[in-house]
Amino acid sequence: MHAETSQRLDRSGARDPGQLRRSNVRTALVLALIAATFFTGVIASKFMGGYETGMSVVGFAVFLFLCLAIGRNLRGGR
Amino acid sequence: MSTIPHDHVAGHDDHHDHHYPGGIMRWITTTNHKDIGTMYLWFSFTMFMVGGVMALTIRAELFQPGLQVVNPEFFNSMITLHGLIMVFGAIMPAAVGFANWQIPMMIGAPDMAFARMNNWSFWLLPPAAILLVTSLFVPGGGAQSGWTLYPPLTTQLPMGMDLAIFAIHIMGASSIMGSINIVTTILNLRAPGMTLMKMPMFCWTWLITAYLLIAVMPVLAGAVTMLLTDRHFGTSFFNAAGGGDPVLFQHIFWFFGHPEVYIIILPAFGIISQILPAFSRKPLFGYASMVYATAGIAILSFIVWAHHMFTVGMPTAGLLFFMYATMLIAVPTGVKVFNWLATMWKGSMTFEAPMLFAVGFLFLFTMGGFTGLILAITPVDIQFHDTYYVVAHFHYVMVAGSLFAFFGGVYYWIPKWTGTMYDETVAKAHFWLSLVFFNVAFFPQHFLGLAGMPRRIPDYAQQFADWNMVSSIGAFGFGFSQLLLLYAVLKCARGKGEKAPAKPWEGADTLEWTLPSPAPYHTFETPPVIK
Repeated sequence: MHAETSQRLDRSGARDPGQLRRSNVRTALVLALIAATFFTGVIASKFMGGYETGMSVVGFAVFLFLCLAIGRNLRGGR
Repeated sequence: MSTIPHDHVAGHDDHHDHHYPGGIMRWITTTNHKDIGTMYLWFSFTMFMVGGVMALTIRAELFQPGLQVVNPEFFNSMITLHGLIMVFGAIMPAAVGFANWQIPMMIGAPDMAFARMNNWSFWLLPPAAILLVTSLFVPGGGAQSGWTLYPPLTTQLPMGMDLAIFAIHIMGASSIMGSINIVTTILNLRAPGMTLMKMPMFCWTWLITAYLLIAVMPVLAGAVTMLLTDRHFGTSFFNAAGGGDPVLFQHIFWFFGHPEVYIIILPAFGIISQILPAFSRKPLFGYASMVYATAGIAILSFIVWAHHMFTVGMPTAGLLFFMYATMLIAVPTGVKVFNWLATMWKGSMTFEAPMLFAVGFLFLFTMGGFTGLILAITPVDIQFHDTYYVVAHFHYVMVAGSLFAFFGGVYYWIPKWTGTMYDETVAKAHFWLSLVFFNVAFFPQHFLGLAGMPRRIPDYAQQFADWNMVSSIGAFGFGFSQLLLLYAVLKCARGKGEKAPAKPWEGADTLEWTLPSPAPYHTFETPPVIK
């Protein structure tokens, strides 16, 4: 990577702190939801005994990963 | 590492009237990524010493056949806690320490995205470590199951097992919070112009590692929660007598456990990918393919878990699937090794301590990778399962892989962290002693495993005596060699040595080297512009 830096005050690329904070919280919530899905899912799938539960858990987690990835791209392209 | 004064601020355009607590309260309340990175690294070194003492207890007992030093129950506790402490207390926190120090500086961010959560993530670790270590002193002693915690044994062990389960819960929560923080920081706080494909490889490997952690740590937490309810609340998740399935625990554990191997090794790959180009004075060869190979390794890590349990009795189709899937991992790993070699090819190389550790990593990790490939072959693994061959294999990956990379990373970045150059003679002595003693300790374990010596036993047949003695001598040598690292780091932290320039390594080209040494307490509060 060839990076050049500028230490002078240049806020042209800086984002609104409020917007950045909301964006951080959104990202963190989706990631936390993925973690919670795996945690409850692994117990629920064993508790209910069917492989459908396990597949649903993995499917939902993948869906959340996609939400995170696609959601970021949509925001970027706005 | 270093203790950066609060007033040491550069590139800080918005001067506020900050009031910082001093003394111990600074460390308890800090939200600064550098302070937290320092605490992670010291914590991991402390746990490395604690886990190391346990390893030396094991090797002292195995120095000769027969029971000399400890009783078998205590030996089993040592085996278990050594594994848990080294994985969750030493290697993972060390990687998070590197991430805390380096990621914000490498992507031009002022700090981590969630600074208070970062503090909390760290301060969860000491109570967890205390739970683990004090479990040795409760009635019945510490957990004696091995770090894999297989039931039905773990449903019957005394209360030391409960403390281990709680410790795993706490360390898991810490890891998940740390990972959420790292992903959010990398996705949202990169400097303008720092696209994902311009990020240093260390950030890429940590981004992928953090995703792995978010996916698999909750699975381990779920497994040990079920273990806990089996132990105390009358459930039968893993209790065959109540209709449960002990083998299911193994599936769940290794669904976590195999990605965990990559959680441990990917940050090390990232460090090596920074060091090799810097000391070869060439850009990293095949940057994009390195990124895709890292992602490929991470994805494949989810579909190979059952190679750890070939002996439980699986259908042949299952054995074949997991064998071939495991072998497939050699492809992206081979891409990485090829790219590292190609980076060095015709480079203007010099061999300071970080480069020595990187080259040592490359050689020894590749050996560990090859023995892994051998173990992937189902009929071979059935013979070697639970022998010292497996112990030798994973120590080549975890010690010569992760740990050597972390040692290299410490020497590479410590001038930036402390503002002082490390003692090159001491660092080179640390490398050569570690390299020699590591191989004396672990290479003979291949022979022991091939000859059929089982792992996790305090006593053994006379035929294994010679190589065990050699291995124990190597282990003690390796353990005491690490005091050189402590000496070198303390010397830098106290400022005893040559003053470090902003960029001590000619070939280093990432953002942190544009900052003065030591790195100011606050950095990049004004985002740098990446062109």
